[in-house]
Amino acid sequence: MSRGRISGRVLEGIESIGGAALAIAREAGGMVLLLGKVIRALFPPSMDARELVRNLHKMGNRSVPIVVLTAFFAGALMVLQSAPFVQRLGATGLAGWAAGYAVLREIGPILIALMFSGRVGANNTAELGTMTVTEQLDGLRALSIDPIKYLVVPRVIAMMVMLVALTAIGDLVALLGASLIAKIVLGIEYSTMYHSFADNLSPHDFLQGIYKSLVFGGAIAVSSCYFGVSVKGGAVGVGRAVNAAVVAAAVSIMLLDFFLTYMNI
Amino acid sequence: MQAVELRGVTKGFGHREVLAGVDLEIKQGARVGIIGPAASGKSVLLKLICGLERPDEGAVIVEGHDITSWSEARMLPLRARIGMLFQNYALFDFMTIGENVAFPLSRRGGISPSEIDQRVADRLRAVGLAGTETKLPSELSGGMKKRAGIARATVARPDIVIYDEPTAGLDPVTTSKIYDLLAADQKETGGTVIAVSSDVAALAAFVDEIAFLYKGKIHYRGPASSLADAPDPIVRQFVRGDVEGPLE
Amino acid sequence: MKLARYTGPIERLGESVLAYVRATVELIGLFFSTMAGVVRGGRPRGEVVHQMYVIGNRSLIFVAVTLGFIGMVMIYQACLQFTKVTGDFSQVGVQFIRLIVSDFAPTLCGMMLATRVGAGIAAEIGSMKVTEQVDALRMSGVLPVDYLIVPRFLASVVMTVVLSVVGGAIMWIAGGLTAQYSFHVNPALFYDMSLVRPIHLAMGLVKALSYGMAIPVVSGFCGLRAKGSSEGVGWATTSAVIGSSFAVIVLDFFWSMLGFLFFGASL
Repeated sequence: MSRGRISGRVLEGIESIGGAALAIAREAGGMVLLLGKVIRALFPPSMDARELVRNLHKMGNRSVPIVVLTAFFAGALMVLQSAPFVQRLGATGLAGWAAGYAVLREIGPILIALMFSGRVGANNTAELGTMTVTEQLDGLRALSIDPIKYLVVPRVIAMMVMLVALTAIGDLVALLGASLIAKIVLGIEYSTMYHSFADNLSPHDFLQGIYKSLVFGGAIAVSSCYFGVSVKGGAVGVGRAVNAAVVAAAVSIMLLDFFLTYMNI
Repeated sequence: MQAVELRGVTKGFGHREVLAGVDLEIKQGARVGIIGPAASGKSVLLKLICGLERPDEGAVIVEGHDITSWSEARMLPLRARIGMLFQNYALFDFMTIGENVAFPLSRRGGISPSEIDQRVADRLRAVGLAGTETKLPSELSGGMKKRAGIARATVARPDIVIYDEPTAGLDPVTTSKIYDLLAADQKETGGTVIAVSSDVAALAAFVDEIAFLYKGKIHYRGPASSLADAPDPIVRQFVRGDVEGPLE
Repeated sequence: MKLARYTGPIERLGESVLAYVRATVELIGLFFSTMAGVVRGGRPRGEVVHQMYVIGNRSLIFVAVTLGFIGMVMIYQACLQFTKVTGDFSQVGVQFIRLIVSDFAPTLCGMMLATRVGAGIAAEIGSMKVTEQVDALRMSGVLPVDYLIVPRFLASVVMTVVLSVVGGAIMWIAGGLTAQYSFHVNPALFYDMSLVRPIHLAMGLVKALSYGMAIPVVSGFCGLRAKGSSEGVGWATTSAVIGSSFAVIVLDFFWSMLGFLFFGASL
């Protein structure tokens, strides 16, 4: 299949890079188109309220345990990372500030978004993917129900709302986890940590994290719904779609975080 | 020694009990068919015989060995003497047909590569798939994949061959051809054959005895030739396809 | 005869806790089985190299991009804070590389691989399970652990270390560029490895190795338990991503804790 030895290999390599770039462009374009359809379906708001409530319940309920556990460990880890520094300088007042700032602004939103993407996003893709494979989406269209309005929009809204709520809860748990580890490992009193948080962290820091989680929620939702409804090929296709969805969500989260951070001083 | 014995076997999944006390004996060299309503546990029964599942209660005895609590590793040599055709063929989609059929032989060891190739070619010819060694499963039709599955199940000349729905989804002519093939195989090797099928008529023409699995137990066992006139009304209704009757 | 079962909320909670405990025990069993399988052999020839290619090829750009962006964000935030407090950027570079080597590179790379590789492995093995190919393997005299999981295990251990190094380097460079162009930090001041000591390298290596071991075992476990058809595969992939990510976080905590308790402030 190669057309001559070295030049053939190089050509193949360039072809595959080009192919990958085209594939990424196609997926990204598809997601933007889906986002457009979702936004259009919101003005005027015409969605199935029952679907919305059902999704809110399902997505929130399922993720609380894993988010809480993750957040706890994340807060603890932040303290552990800064611990040598703090201990050497005896700067116990700094521990809360360092951990708190990192958690509220970056670690909290990003980590919780990643776990949410894995728990809810992947599950959502699998559900929509299975519905696609079993032709339920076509069935809806045959009943002149727009699958976007009926299925996708409630899920997007639910995911964004839920991620914000979970990030808020997670931030709190992370700070608690940080305080606990600070007490156990560094011997810093809870009151010291509390004052460190209160003195150095502002509501602005918290809100910046929340804005991020709102955007992340949108990215995760669009990615997971897009790959869910464009599944091809049965069980194997669903697995591949879930794979693609979580990867796309993770990349989007990192890219968006970068842009959002630079935009807020 | 019986080929297969099941004594008081029960098996449930979660809260659902599928097999509720199955007693079954199959002599060596016999041809036995298993029929029953959908989701009655026929496939589960077959998997228990191969040791792919373990019973909740009771004993599974294959060729005189009680395999009920054997570990996976211990079962490997015994499985060398059992061949199974899966309901959805279960061909390895990352291998060619030739590699698929050769697989049971290549794993066993002690056979030269050229002899493996020869036996694979013979088997494929016998099932009517000569020359397809280099094709991928995705390139074959359903009937062809089924035949490839049969080739793989029988290439190692097993003592016991198990067919799970060998003719499901195939047209009547292909069905006859498949059963002719299975009959010829069994005559040549003298092995034991256990077959599950929803196509009762075709199955009854192939096997000597039929066992009816109903509500988790072997409800009836009798010669295949007189199945339609079985003494049990439920069996009669099932076999004849009557809508009215005691069958639930 | 089976008695009627009362399934109120307490019973259901108890059942799910028991299910998690049982799953964790099976998972640990699978880990030891995998280690035994490494010695046993029985994997297809060349499969380890193939898996290394699959993992490395598919994940390189992904890891590079994500870690690069995170590196930039981290330095940006850190420099912002330093501006407020001291205005002295001399510590930013040295502390950053120390943290990259001992924690950020392996852990962030681990999190990304938990998503990419974890989903991939679970999807592949899960699809095979629901199409009965795993049972067919068992009937052909093969242990699925040896044939499917061990090659991915070995490949993942190697590639996680490799990708952590690459990712860490990219993080470092990206962070340095951010410091240089947004905060006018002198590159010579930033790219200073003087605080990096053998213990940091050891920590980073141990973490990367443990993540590389955990991800394929957890994902393979989820894949082998897939049931049904496409929903089963979807569910297996979801559990694999969550399980692997969570395993990375817990292992990070475990090693960091151990490191701090034994080496204290000298870390």
